[in-house]
Amino acid sequence: METEVKEAQGKIVSAENPDISAPADWKPVIIGILCNWCSYAGSDLTGTSRIQYPPNIRIIRVPCSSRVDPWFIIKSLQSTADGVLISGCHPGDCHYITGNYYARRRFLVAKKLLNFIGYHENRVQFSWVSAAEGQKFAKVVAKVTEDIKKLGPLHRYKKENF
Amino acid sequence: MDYSNQIREITSKLFADNKIDYFVGYRQNSFDDSQVPFLITDPAEIPKLVFTDKSVFNLANYLKPDHTKRKRVGLVVKGCDSRALNLMLTESQVKRENIYIIGICCEGTLDDKGQKPQNCIECVMPDPVVYDEILGTPSGKKKYTVNADIKELAEKALNERADYFEEIFAACIRCNACRHSCPLCYCAKCCIDQETSTLYNGANTTSGAMHALMTWSLHLAGRCVDCRNCEKACPSHLPLHLLHKQNENVIYENFQHHLAGMEKDDRGAFYKYSLSDPDDFIL
Repeated sequence: METEVKEAQGKIVSAENPDISAPADWKPVIIGILCNWCSYAGSDLTGTSRIQYPPNIRIIRVPCSSRVDPWFIIKSLQSTADGVLISGCHPGDCHYITGNYYARRRFLVAKKLLNFIGYHENRVQFSWVSAAEGQKFAKVVAKVTEDIKKLGPLHRYKKENF
Repeated sequence: MDYSNQIREITSKLFADNKIDYFVGYRQNSFDDSQVPFLITDPAEIPKLVFTDKSVFNLANYLKPDHTKRKRVGLVVKGCDSRALNLMLTESQVKRENIYIIGICCEGTLDDKGQKPQNCIECVMPDPVVYDEILGTPSGKKKYTVNADIKELAEKALNERADYFEEIFAACIRCNACRHSCPLCYCAKCCIDQETSTLYNGANTTSGAMHALMTWSLHLAGRCVDCRNCEKACPSHLPLHLLHKQNENVIYENFQHHLAGMEKDDRGAFYKYSLSDPDDFIL
């Protein structure tokens, strides 16, 4: 299912729609949905530890990763976002004991379905980040930002197109 | 496959014993050889009941909402319908003591062109899983096969697949017939009805249809029994099974070969978890 990412004359071509391209200095918008107990605290630690990470991510705090309904992802992708990052506690560390196990199943199905209807699989990414992993959070955001920068702007099913 | 006479006999007996208040079956359509769902309260109408290869609709849909709280209902179910009914029973939508189920060991239905539809060819459970009376000889559980359309689409390039689905979503008129025809969509207030909400994309546009159909199919993920009532009801003839079969396929491959509605008290794949669920897609 992997598609080749085209880069033509210093422009970034959209992975989903080859007719759409952006200038080379284009910056993606990424929505980060973080769980309150681990990943949000982890991102807080990244900040207080003065670790640099790309500023393209806009963070939303949710009580638990299982609070994330797949339509949060669809809504983000239909709005200004070019990609979505969802992060929660490591398996076994959930504040609500089993929340992230349920979430994990839902994420897999939602990710595969979004890929099936024509979103690149790197548009929606998931991670486990604990409250002590400030370093890992910075790495994850850097990786996701780089992935989405390669994919170019997202132009399908945008609300403002209609 | 013709069980018309047996069903008439059973129904007249049920009415005579005062076991049911009404019966849901099929009757011949007046203008062609297709059949329509038929609801009878009067035993005089029993001779109109039929059941043949053309009995395609899922009658479990006629048990909602709250019908079985006050009335006792008899109905005919095929294999796929009984799986949907099993899920409705598990989710406490139907009272078991108030329904009388005639289960049919299905040999596959026929569509308008007289051919076996794809879901009957790929059927995993032709026998009823929940019944009071069974007609025909059970043939047992079949092997699960990946849907041919899904295989074909998964091999296509991302752009082509995106174009294909954008056309499908653009053709949707958002009449919500798919939701109304689904026996498992029984919520009194549905989230895809919020036409004026700013949270929800309720517009009658491609993006609105995409939001609605995606949300709908994800709410049915792990519960859809592939009866394809939604496709039969769709006025735009959209291949809605693609979304459901894709979910079913992912769930079957990754979550211990789970299939919806096969066992009693199984609420679907998203109501349970396993410690060994796939984790490799998570950073």
